[in-house]
Amino acid sequence: MAAGEFRLRVRYSKAGRARFLSHLEVMRTLERSARRARLPYAVTKGFNPRMKAAFGPALPVGTGGEREYYDVWLTQPLPAEEAVARLLASTPAELQVAEARYVHERQPSLTAAATVARYEVAVGGEGLSAELIERALVTVIGEGRLEVEHKGKTKVFDLARSLPEEVRVRSYGPPFIVEVTTRMGQEGSLRPDVLISEVLTRVPGGGAVVSVTRTDILTEEEGVLRRPL
Amino acid sequence: MGPDLWQRVEALLPRVERPVRYIDSEWGARHVAQAEYRSVLLYPDTYEIGQANQGLAILYERLNSVPGHVAERAYVPWIDMATEMRSAGVPLFSLESCTPVSDFDLVGITLPYELTYTNVLEALDLAGIPLRAADRGEALPLVIGGGPCAYNPEPVAAFFDAILIGEGEEAVLDIALAHRAARDAGASRAEILECLAEIPGVYVPRLYRSAGGGGLAPSGPAPAVVTKRAISDLGAYRPPLCPIVPYMDVVHDRMTVEVLRGCTRGCRFCQAGMVYRPVRERTADDIVRDVLEGLACTGYEEASLTSLSTTDHSQLEEVLRRLTNRLEGSGVTISLPSLRVDAFSVSMARLASGGRKSGLTFAPEAGTQRLRDVINKNVSEEELLETVTRAFGAGWRRVKLYFMIGLPTETDEDVAAIGAMVARVQRAARDAVPAADRGSVRIGVSVSTFVPKAHTPFQWEGQVSLEEILRRQEVLRSAMPRKGVDLSWHDARVSFLEGMIARGGREVADVIEQAWRAGARFDAWSERFDLDLWKSAFESTGVDGATIAGRPYGQDEPLPWAHISSGVSERYLWLERERALAGTTTEDCSFGRCTGCDVCGDLGVDIVLGGEARGRG
Repeated sequence: MAAGEFRLRVRYSKAGRARFLSHLEVMRTLERSARRARLPYAVTKGFNPRMKAAFGPALPVGTGGEREYYDVWLTQPLPAEEAVARLLASTPAELQVAEARYVHERQPSLTAAATVARYEVAVGGEGLSAELIERALVTVIGEGRLEVEHKGKTKVFDLARSLPEEVRVRSYGPPFIVEVTTRMGQEGSLRPDVLISEVLTRVPGGGAVVSVTRTDILTEEEGVLRRPL
Repeated sequence: MGPDLWQRVEALLPRVERPVRYIDSEWGARHVAQAEYRSVLLYPDTYEIGQANQGLAILYERLNSVPGHVAERAYVPWIDMATEMRSAGVPLFSLESCTPVSDFDLVGITLPYELTYTNVLEALDLAGIPLRAADRGEALPLVIGGGPCAYNPEPVAAFFDAILIGEGEEAVLDIALAHRAARDAGASRAEILECLAEIPGVYVPRLYRSAGGGGLAPSGPAPAVVTKRAISDLGAYRPPLCPIVPYMDVVHDRMTVEVLRGCTRGCRFCQAGMVYRPVRERTADDIVRDVLEGLACTGYEEASLTSLSTTDHSQLEEVLRRLTNRLEGSGVTISLPSLRVDAFSVSMARLASGGRKSGLTFAPEAGTQRLRDVINKNVSEEELLETVTRAFGAGWRRVKLYFMIGLPTETDEDVAAIGAMVARVQRAARDAVPAADRGSVRIGVSVSTFVPKAHTPFQWEGQVSLEEILRRQEVLRSAMPRKGVDLSWHDARVSFLEGMIARGGREVADVIEQAWRAGARFDAWSERFDLDLWKSAFESTGVDGATIAGRPYGQDEPLPWAHISSGVSERYLWLERERALAGTTTEDCSFGRCTGCDVCGDLGVDIVLGGEARGRG
């Protein structure tokens, strides 16, 4: 960062119809909403000056997010509440902004720091019960590893490492809500819908993932999980 | 309808590509719960192609400005979505309120390009609206067309209840208000259409019958010739300042301010240059105000100053200086859509681009001065070389040149001359850059095939046959420098199909319907284009497409579009044709004297430059 720049971290959600947006579409929309809000944003140096902003880990098309984040660098320390109020008035409702706070420039980037994510996976199907799902979960997790085909390559996930928290079936549906916490990072990110789809193949009669929502993005320091704000 | 239909749509979205096409809720979309009169504006292609269309954005704004009226949007779902919708029984829906398109009072469809015609039928079919206007019952919406292709409406006339010729700012409200009043007075569909036919610029196809000899004549009080609508003062209508800001990366995803309408350079092949006359500029003050207001409302990172020829605006330099001052340090840029071949254009591009030198685009169109005189493209090779030298000297490393083949009087010599001209451009570009940079010099050459367009001086010409075009492409290919030139072609088969549709009359409607029934849609998408399918559609309907495209017309033979007027008189067009064949050029009436095209007098409009009318009208 250049001297005189202020790094504002903004929390927003990706809900309703907006869950059908790609990460690029979310980024473009939020940058435009920051411009509409007349935030005193900094621009990058160089040939193609752009708004200086950095986003958290990508969500796929179709997946919602309850606590998503981006950082935007400002040239003036606009009070965070003022920034939130202006963003609220200039952002589509289904990407709504919830809070903002200045963070220190030395903090690592959101993509580097956020290594764990919590999800809610809604599943449905004929004759499905929480018990059946739980039993199949125990079987799959007990196997210790999960092979995932992606773009013609097979990737093997060590489930003990990829699942830092217990997988739980929360509601007594339908639809049933499965809470999954997975690790993200350079060694690969286990997609919760991939895990749960595998689990559902072990349930008599099967079932299907209805929707996926990321409920939290977390940083991990010496075994302690924390929210970025 | 409404929330219930949305739930059924939403259930399909996880199964289709790019669901963002169907979700509405973008910034700037208007949601009005109650309205006495509802219009839906449909672009006959996918969301990303149609969303930024300026014509529809203007109509959306105008229709939504009337109390008690609402206008929504609809696009043609891509094939995967259309298949899902048909199997789930989901009809074509509007985006804003997710209402079936067939529940609206008016369905407005723009006609941007002949190769979207099968999409019009796809949209009507998905909406559950009979394809032919004659088959529509009292309760169904009026289907009204408009836009560039309306200047020869006959190929699609059977599918429309009415077609607006010309500019929509005023006419669209005339139509909606007349329809609403007639409907509220209990008028039948036939009575409503008769009443619409009285509105200037509105063509109601069912009121016209074959008059023998190929022409059409009105059967009742409808006008013998429908003349286009034109507004006299562009400044009286501000461009849409808070247009919809899409989520999706759409075509032309930027703030757009139309800085002038019309172009009087007089290129004889150019339909837009004839039918959008006269030139009417917005003032510099209005443009600067509207760009800044539009950027504030949309949050766009780029604004484009659009028109047929933006570097012709008499105050462009002032506009660019004021805007670049105001936007300095914001990362927001101003772009110009196309450039004239001269030094002024290069300096304007330097001002506009904010330091970016992505690429410049020029259109010499033909390779020899003789042929450029025939088409009245007033560009000399010296000007082109000077302009290129200046641009490459100023830091640009890429230039794209547009040419056309198949022009009237064209010989192999003219075609081969394109290659020689490109070679000289390449040499000039290389000479203008430091030796170390020569490797990065790229010359793009894009070659399209001429289609003789209605309402131009070349409307009487036939289109050169497909075989001959393919042969001339070979002539050009062998004359083109091999290295450092990226040569691309507009598919000659596509141009051939354009000619077969665009130059036809009412008989072509059967062909379009047959092609759609055989599976043609999204014909403008290269992966979907299928000339063989169209050839069988022509064959099975007994319509001779090659003759439609290729036949020339005599001065006294009625053209299929003779009952439609752009305001430019047929007398002037014929005169221009004769001047073309004599190799005589015609000057631009915005800068020189009146050339007598008759638009200003007949339409009650006038050239408006820098806020002042010329006073010729």
